[in-house]
Amino acid sequence: MSMAKQESSVTARMARWVLWYAVRHWPEENREWGLALAAEVDEPASTFDAVRWSFGGIVLFTRSVLSSLWSWMKLPAGSSLSGGADGPSLLPKRSRVFTAVVLAGAAMLLILPEGREAIRTVRSSWQGYQLSGSDARMLEELAARAEKERDAGTLAFAALSALDRTRGAAWTERAVAMDPQLIWVYGARNHGPSIDPPKEEWLARLQAADPGNAVPDLLAADALAQPRLRAFYEHGGEKEDPHQLMASDGNRMALMEHAFKAPRYDSYFQRHYQLARTVWSRERNLPPTVVLYGMRQHALPNLLNIRTYSEIEIEEAKKARESGDPKRAESLLDGVDAFGMRMADANGMEIEKLIGLVIARNANKEMAKLYQVPGGTEDAQTAAKRLEQIEGRVQGVRLTLNPSRNARARAFRREAFFVQAFGSLGLIAGLAALAGILLLELWPGRLRNAKTIWWRAACWSADYAPATVLLACGAFLLSFLPFQSAFEEYRTSDFLLGDEQVLTEAMRSLFEIPTYVVGVDAAVEVWSFVTIGLSLLLLFVLVRGFRRIKHTAANPV
Amino acid sequence: MRIRLSKQTLQVLDALLTRPGQWLYGYSLSQSTGIASGTLYPILMRLDKLHWLETRWEEAKIPGRPPRHLYRLSGTAREWAREEIRTAGEQRFWKTAEHEA
Repeated sequence: MSMAKQESSVTARMARWVLWYAVRHWPEENREWGLALAAEVDEPASTFDAVRWSFGGIVLFTRSVLSSLWSWMKLPAGSSLSGGADGPSLLPKRSRVFTAVVLAGAAMLLILPEGREAIRTVRSSWQGYQLSGSDARMLEELAARAEKERDAGTLAFAALSALDRTRGAAWTERAVAMDPQLIWVYGARNHGPSIDPPKEEWLARLQAADPGNAVPDLLAADALAQPRLRAFYEHGGEKEDPHQLMASDGNRMALMEHAFKAPRYDSYFQRHYQLARTVWSRERNLPPTVVLYGMRQHALPNLLNIRTYSEIEIEEAKKARESGDPKRAESLLDGVDAFGMRMADANGMEIEKLIGLVIARNANKEMAKLYQVPGGTEDAQTAAKRLEQIEGRVQGVRLTLNPSRNARARAFRREAFFVQAFGSLGLIAGLAALAGILLLELWPGRLRNAKTIWWRAACWSADYAPATVLLACGAFLLSFLPFQSAFEEYRTSDFLLGDEQVLTEAMRSLFEIPTYVVGVDAAVEVWSFVTIGLSLLLLFVLVRGFRRIKHTAANPV
Repeated sequence: MRIRLSKQTLQVLDALLTRPGQWLYGYSLSQSTGIASGTLYPILMRLDKLHWLETRWEEAKIPGRPPRHLYRLSGTAREWAREEIRTAGEQRFWKTAEHEA
């Protein structure tokens, strides 16, 4: 065979270099053939033939690598194609392919939209439903898109859910500027001493825009109390009597009086709820935490202040009754009763309804005393009947608020146990599978030669943990279905506040186990387990030592 | 031993049978059959696995170049190869280079 003149163009040299590079990484079991092919690469006379020959070599290299990989995958974890295992009993029973397929199946389940929602929700429940960094970034993106598309509603939603008070305030201003109908957001964004200081100009604008509503006045009255409240939170000190505190502040009293006489009570919760529902049904990737966080942060008038003012009014009525002015007493009590019932009948939160009913009940109790006079029998009977009705409603609301007495909440608590249990099992099994496989793959020789219990544990993990992950993921998704259905019910609901309770109950039930596990009780139990464990270990060491001594005494040789 | 052979495999067998006892290089086989390296070498690997092929390494004639791999059909394989080629020809599945010429 004649020796062809070697082509020395850059392309040909590059093709030869690539082929020889591939040969260096050729699988061991058929590297000989790679060397045989590469040894011929100097023979082609033209650049085209050299490149063609090298390309064929790369194709063969790829096939060899894939074939080698497949052969490797068919072996159990920890074994190599060249062999070297001490024996089959020291290797896992399942092949790498089986493990990979099982783990891929589990991953597929978790990648499903339901799986992603389940992971997001359960992860949030372990973070106390606080906004995470990724949640905050998601809100930022949502707000940026809303501003670009001039979508005032979505921007208002982002403002109501934002953790960053500066951004929240800026988004609120821009949303209201885009759509003045959203002025209620001024009253819904949380104003607390440690959250977001109240903005006087916002409240003034809201009072002007919604004059018949008691809530802007109540929020303005709360804002007046903020400096003293903040000083108390920051510097501590002796707590002042709230009745005296309120009664001594003429401006607050005037605002409270105006609020109690207002024809409406609307804390804008219904509008917030509708906004959240609309945005969430459009932005389905939003984690439930973001929605729930915004709802939980919804600003309510200070319910303690409302109750304090009602007590001042009732006390005033009592004094009027005792001083022989039943007309004034009746007028004052009627005012409190009417305000309480307006709160109870509004589309607000259950806690607002409860406080409203309690205020009305207290007013009616005093009313009953007022009518316990000769000639007031009929009025007394009417007051007693009304009191009974209010008491019935109070019990109804308390039942709704008490998760242990609510059948739906009980069902969620039961299902939440399975969700958290299967989620935790999946996570533990996943970590065990990862640890087992990594131990077998990274240190096969060392562990195998040592024949330790660790090697057996790693084999056992590699065999059974992936299947456990798959089963746990399946069960996790199945047990999450009621929660997924609750979220869907909320998203597709027809503006009924009952759906908000379903969402809250679902989320609260998921939160119970993490609270218990990381809470004070858990700390006590963990230390109890540690103490019991150490005691058992000590007992074991003592018993073993005793038996050895006995054995040595019996067999001195 | 009867095995299912592709048209390219029959071409390689035909080339190896042209001068039965002579050792051939991979590149020369590629040139004579027109089969690209990416197809030729898997065929050679398969024939080697079936023990139809004898292989050896030869030191390079030009210093600095790697040793080259040589191939020829084993004694028994030559008969089988001829049989396979004849059968393929009868089934009009394939023509030998001689017939094509």
